[in-house]
Amino acid sequence: MTGKNGNGERFTGHGSEWRDSNLSEADALTATTWVESKIDKRSMLTNKDRVHDIREVMWQLEKEGEIKVHRVSDEHAPRVAKTLYGWDKKIPTRQLWHHKSCGQCGNIPGYPTSLLWMMNEMDIPYLDETDQTSCTAWNYHGSGIGNIESLAAVFLRNFHQAYVSAKAEGKPEGYYYPLVHCGTSFGNYKEVREYLLLSAELRERVKKILGKLDRLVDGKLLIPEEIVHYSEWVHVMRKDIADRQVIDCSNVRATIHPACHVYKMIPQDVIYDDEVLDGNRVAVSTGIMQSLGAQIIDYSTWYDCCGFGFRHIISEREFTRSYAIDRKIKVAIDEANSDVMIGHDTGCITTLDKNQWIAKADDRNAGKDYELPVISDIQFAALACGADPFKIVQSHWHASPLENLFEKMGIDWDAGKANFENYLKLVEQGQQENLYDPRRRITGGPGYINVEERKKLGMMK
Amino acid sequence: MGHHSTSTRVQKHIGDPTEGLVEEVSREKLEEIFQDIQGDLRFDHELNGCLNCGICTATCPAAHYYDFSPREIVQLIWTENLEGIYDAMQEKIWSCAQCYTCAARCPFGNSPGGLVMLLREASIKHGMESAKSVLRPFSRVLLKLISTGNQLSPDMINADGFPDWGPNICKVDAPLKLLRQAIPMPTLNTIKTAWETNLKTSVELYTIWEETGVLDQLETVDENLFDVIVDIMDEKRDDWDDYLDEMDE
Repeated sequence: MTGKNGNGERFTGHGSEWRDSNLSEADALTATTWVESKIDKRSMLTNKDRVHDIREVMWQLEKEGEIKVHRVSDEHAPRVAKTLYGWDKKIPTRQLWHHKSCGQCGNIPGYPTSLLWMMNEMDIPYLDETDQTSCTAWNYHGSGIGNIESLAAVFLRNFHQAYVSAKAEGKPEGYYYPLVHCGTSFGNYKEVREYLLLSAELRERVKKILGKLDRLVDGKLLIPEEIVHYSEWVHVMRKDIADRQVIDCSNVRATIHPACHVYKMIPQDVIYDDEVLDGNRVAVSTGIMQSLGAQIIDYSTWYDCCGFGFRHIISEREFTRSYAIDRKIKVAIDEANSDVMIGHDTGCITTLDKNQWIAKADDRNAGKDYELPVISDIQFAALACGADPFKIVQSHWHASPLENLFEKMGIDWDAGKANFENYLKLVEQGQQENLYDPRRRITGGPGYINVEERKKLGMMK
Repeated sequence: MGHHSTSTRVQKHIGDPTEGLVEEVSREKLEEIFQDIQGDLRFDHELNGCLNCGICTATCPAAHYYDFSPREIVQLIWTENLEGIYDAMQEKIWSCAQCYTCAARCPFGNSPGGLVMLLREASIKHGMESAKSVLRPFSRVLLKLISTGNQLSPDMINADGFPDWGPNICKVDAPLKLLRQAIPMPTLNTIKTAWETNLKTSVELYTIWEETGVLDQLETVDENLFDVIVDIMDEKRDDWDDYLDEMDE
């Protein structure tokens, strides 16, 4: 594949070990054309004429008084990104309501903490609260328990809570805009929003439920103008993040694992950026790594899933293990000599991070060290900007050898671990450090501190 | 109802390898199942036509490892092969990894992965043994999800549960509770749920489960789990009522 200028330059980052395959020009063109037509943006462009922009339906329904739209407004300081077909997508950058991911919070806690830490560094207001459920879509895709109605009701409930949450702090409705952490939640919510906007029957069914929950706005369903994934926030903020960089990443060879539910579900709403791989692939994660100066190394199975499978990772693990090792980890090591695999979704990071050790049991791997650090884009960015590798990035929860990555970045793993173990003694005495005032996390029900009381306690900024 | 192979058109002509004995089902039952699949409002959105090009299967992760083909699933539904659909619901539909690569690639804009979900829902609704059996090891996720609104919790991730993940599930040797307290997001200082969930949130979620038939689905696949969850729900609802009473006083 040729670069922007057609001068034979490849995607950025082929390192010194890389050797040309020496295909003839005609053979290379044949191979490249075949692959591109199957796997990159172009194959999806064939559907362009048949895909509508669902937001047009959304505005029409609001005009007809059927729904209320939660707008991305100036107070959210939006930045505009281009999606697959060149449509504009407004990405809010401030006043964000963190819609957490159960898999991240349960298993990779350094993923959300790195994001909140970065926002603190940039003085970006946000709310992380207890009044939210997961999207329930991991379970749905794994088990089939759930249905379009339950998924829609959960979506509307959570996004309604995001809309009204600021009232607990004496601020107006709509002040915070939801930022979705999980890739599956992101894909699922976009799909559900589309069905809600297209089906009057579904709207009628869930409206009754949301009414019972007192989750309507002026008697109407509340629909978000944009459904925004955290990786999109990272992407539009990538240059601001890079301005805070304190660690040189230019010797890091990174492979990217784009997440299926981020860019294969409702693909027309996915960011493609001319500055990133000529706009040919999903831009998130690659964009921030490029801005941080890392080498982005291509590998042939970049478009494959990770093997998570939703149910498979729990109860058909041989599939998950085999797929993760054979189709992703080994390829990234053998083809790209990768130092780290960067992801932007919960299940992928878990699958690729945890399923490496078992490769030692496979005779075919004898003599090869198939170990590859796996981490999310925002964790990598936080490290590059000087975040504590244990307290903030919570690297100890990763099974893959992040130590190797730290060495490459010049981060002292042993000293960091010793510091953290000392810090645990303080935590035992109740002296843990938090990214925000813990009292803010409760916005209603038991434990809620009302606005007047908050003022007295000095909780209001 | 007798037990013998259904000997369907698919088995005869395509060689669909249905293993073991499958309950014989009447034509009426097959039609009822298909009507449930076809009646879902997503059906027409997920299926637009099929020329058997197979690009879905070519890029399907599950097709690498299982006797599973999204092309076959689409064809069975497109041609309304009711016996074949029923056979596929016995095992094959559970192979799909739900990555939606098929949907992103299909020139017709079909979503084979989405159709698989309609089949999975139907297999649960009709109480198929295949669904009960395949979901048995998934019950802890179901318990967490329906009772708390979280799907995964820190106490589920441990070396006993995942010995194949190796010795480095956590690289700092300290009690789980302490390690969770050391996470600087106060909502995450939890063990039994991924994050601290507001009581009001749980109670609202229970209404959603009831109103959308999710509890009925659960009762169909696992009656014991259903009983446990209903007890938890009652308890939390009582707590919420107590809180409201306190506020009134």
